[in-house]
Amino acid sequence: MDALLRELREGPDGIAEYYDTEISSKELTIGSSADRNIQLLGRGIAAEHAVIRQAGAQLELECRRGEYVRLNGKKKATARLSIGDVIELAGHRLRIAQPPPGFSVAIELQPNDQIDASTFESAFRTDLSQTWLGKRTMAWAGVAVVMLFGLILPLMVYKAHRADNPVPSWFPGDEFWNSGPLHQVHQQAIGDRCETCHEKLFQRVQDSACETCHRTTHDHIMPARLALTELGPTPRCATCHREHNEPQTFLVNRSDSSCIDCHGKPQHGFGEIKMDPVNGFALDRHPEFKAHLLASVAGQAAGRGFSYDWKTVVAELDKAVEQSNLKFSHRQHLDPNRVLRRGDSKPMNCADCHRLEPDGEHFEPITQEKQCAQCHELTFDPGAPDRQLPHGRPREVVLTLQDYFTRKFSDPNFGRVATRERRRLPGQDREEETCDGEPFDCAMRSAKKEIESQFTRRGCVGCHAVIDTKVANVFDRFQVVPIRFARDYFPANRFDHRSHQIQGKLTGDDACLSCHAAKKSTDSSDLMVPGIAKCTECHGDKAAAERVTVQCVSCHEYHPRQPSLLDAIGTQTRNRETETAPRAELAGL
Amino acid sequence: MIHRNLLSYRGARYLWWSLGLIVASCILYVTQGDAQPPNGGTWQGYVLGTVGALLIVWLTLLGIRKRRYSSTMGTVQGWTSAHVYLGSALIVVATLHSGLQIGWNLHTFAYVLMCVVILSGFFGLYTYMSYPQLISKNREGGARAELFAELFELDRNARAVASRCAPDVAIAVDSSIERTTLGGGIYSQLFSRDDSYFVRGAGKPVRNTDQQQVIDFVGARLPRAAKGAEAANLQQLIVLLCRRQAVLRRIRRDIRLYGWLKIWLYFHVPVTIALLVALVLHIIVTFFYW
Repeated sequence: MDALLRELREGPDGIAEYYDTEISSKELTIGSSADRNIQLLGRGIAAEHAVIRQAGAQLELECRRGEYVRLNGKKKATARLSIGDVIELAGHRLRIAQPPPGFSVAIELQPNDQIDASTFESAFRTDLSQTWLGKRTMAWAGVAVVMLFGLILPLMVYKAHRADNPVPSWFPGDEFWNSGPLHQVHQQAIGDRCETCHEKLFQRVQDSACETCHRTTHDHIMPARLALTELGPTPRCATCHREHNEPQTFLVNRSDSSCIDCHGKPQHGFGEIKMDPVNGFALDRHPEFKAHLLASVAGQAAGRGFSYDWKTVVAELDKAVEQSNLKFSHRQHLDPNRVLRRGDSKPMNCADCHRLEPDGEHFEPITQEKQCAQCHELTFDPGAPDRQLPHGRPREVVLTLQDYFTRKFSDPNFGRVATRERRRLPGQDREEETCDGEPFDCAMRSAKKEIESQFTRRGCVGCHAVIDTKVANVFDRFQVVPIRFARDYFPANRFDHRSHQIQGKLTGDDACLSCHAAKKSTDSSDLMVPGIAKCTECHGDKAAAERVTVQCVSCHEYHPRQPSLLDAIGTQTRNRETETAPRAELAGL
Repeated sequence: MIHRNLLSYRGARYLWWSLGLIVASCILYVTQGDAQPPNGGTWQGYVLGTVGALLIVWLTLLGIRKRRYSSTMGTVQGWTSAHVYLGSALIVVATLHSGLQIGWNLHTFAYVLMCVVILSGFFGLYTYMSYPQLISKNREGGARAELFAELFELDRNARAVASRCAPDVAIAVDSSIERTTLGGGIYSQLFSRDDSYFVRGAGKPVRNTDQQQVIDFVGARLPRAAKGAEAANLQQLIVLLCRRQAVLRRIRRDIRLYGWLKIWLYFHVPVTIALLVALVLHIIVTFFYW
């Protein structure tokens, strides 16, 4: 379009002057920028503020988005213009005039003289607030992102999981709430199904959730015994088992404080259960150990001669006496001047008899066959060194001897094939093997002699206590008192023998003997278990120089392996018989 | 010297406050014994978390306090000084609260948002300390509006003089004025990108970065000026264009310095709002899945 722009200015003498400009353009642009057809400065005038264009026979005004003008005093963003209309913009007045011939538009511009050129800045975007950056917009965007990933999506997935609806694993969900990694085992079993443990929102993980899988784990104290105390319910699993922590292998709160909270003052709240106070692991904070020992009590059983009961006795170490009924001297066996190993003739080692079990704590049970028989043969006739008495079956012993002598006196070829003769031991009788009577009577006489000898002078009696009842029946006469060893002096506790096999520079037997005074023990009743003083030489409950730190749970188990065990321990007071082991029938002949 | 006062307000009183807070937090942190690894779930972790959350809320309140001109609750200067020092201490408090356990989760997300806020604050502090001097030096004591007024006058005069020159010179000068860019988008403001063009002869518009090309174009016409009047016009035009170049440089630098002075707030404030929401969710979610 061809436009005539007539600018009215006041001349120096106050007379209005006209400045005409011809504009030939597709449309008439208005704004503060230098490239506008009509450049107007002033507050609120954008760089590209508005355009006037020909729409058919009429003129049309269109402001840029967000901008406006005053048309005949009214705020407008778009309008159709007619001759005589006045557009006001920051005090500038543009009047649409009758176009002279040759022009399609004529505009009279009366500029606002009050406006100086300093507002020219509005022609440009010179402030960050004029860009897309906006504090409000960005704040809303941030809030939206946080709400979406922090609340909305996790809640959706939480609900979907509860309704058992499948959710693809890549979908961002409530694992975004995860405050840390699960223990690897839990991670493998549970994965990202938070609701496995967190059953309800705003509810702590319930013990029942743990027990869904951990069915065989026993509580610290049995309900019946808990009822004897004034203590409330046992703590939540999560009191000690803290999940979502790093390192990923951490699962147990090993601090002593939780234990000491109750066990430090057992006089408060423990009610009928009597226990020593424990405040840590040091001589002044931990009571002396009490060993669980077996005590044997012989008694008269109705109709069968003797019976034998085993009882568990809990005793302080300095008063503890082992009652295994075995005659045995550790000192003798460890003395190289008296005992050498069969085979290589070297002094005996602890490990020759005591073999550690795979658990590293217990030792294989001592048996005659495994430990003793290698050196201690059960021969009875030097003339027949290949014949041995059966062990552990006294009745068989009597029968064997009777059989042996019966044959010896009745078989004409007996003895001819005797292999080797053993040297007679000084002071020991040798059975006179000549008899004038009937062979059977002679045999029985010799057998009786040998039986008496075995049970009272040599043989069985070397290791066993034998009771001679003097009854006529040879099968009932000798009662061998059975032997039993305590399997574990501290059944509710842990001790790792394996890790103690090397103690500083001590290894092998030296390591064993540093705690167990076997070289001084002449009797099997000696309990060679060291007391707490020995442990505290190397261990303490607090980190210190030359001390290995131990916590309560290093030795004690919170969850009993057998629930009855802790119950049993708790009910007994010192040196009181508590448990009757399965009745051991005396080996009646 | 606002920054001096900001950091040394009352003998850097809040510096000592924040150092005290840091020391107390560290002591609290190391008392997390062997029971479990340090984390936000121990009682020390809860204390550190509570202190951190209260600090965040209080630090946010600066935005409200500085708009309450009638408030007598401390001076804004004192608040800002404390804001800077205690905000810096917050990094230590929150890091110790986290026990350095980080992961792809909401809790670390909140922590990262907090770090963005504090680091943007550090940047803001740096610009507030150094840029005002650069700005006033660039403007030589004047205001930006004066520079624009000068530019407008130079535009007008240059156009007037150019209209008396040969048509190609007039077109070149007119187009260089019309196609001069200043500011613009975020990048253009912060890095003074100059997208100016001018029309040389009958060809397409060519780049006119820093107005140098149009000056060279007009300058090249000067030896070929046939008449004395034409040469005088061209000379006058060159003077105007060179003045215009100097003013434009100064305005561009002013826009750039101002942009950097303000840009951090566009992160500091919105991320603070997002942080507040994340903080609330962090606390709620901790108890969602207790």
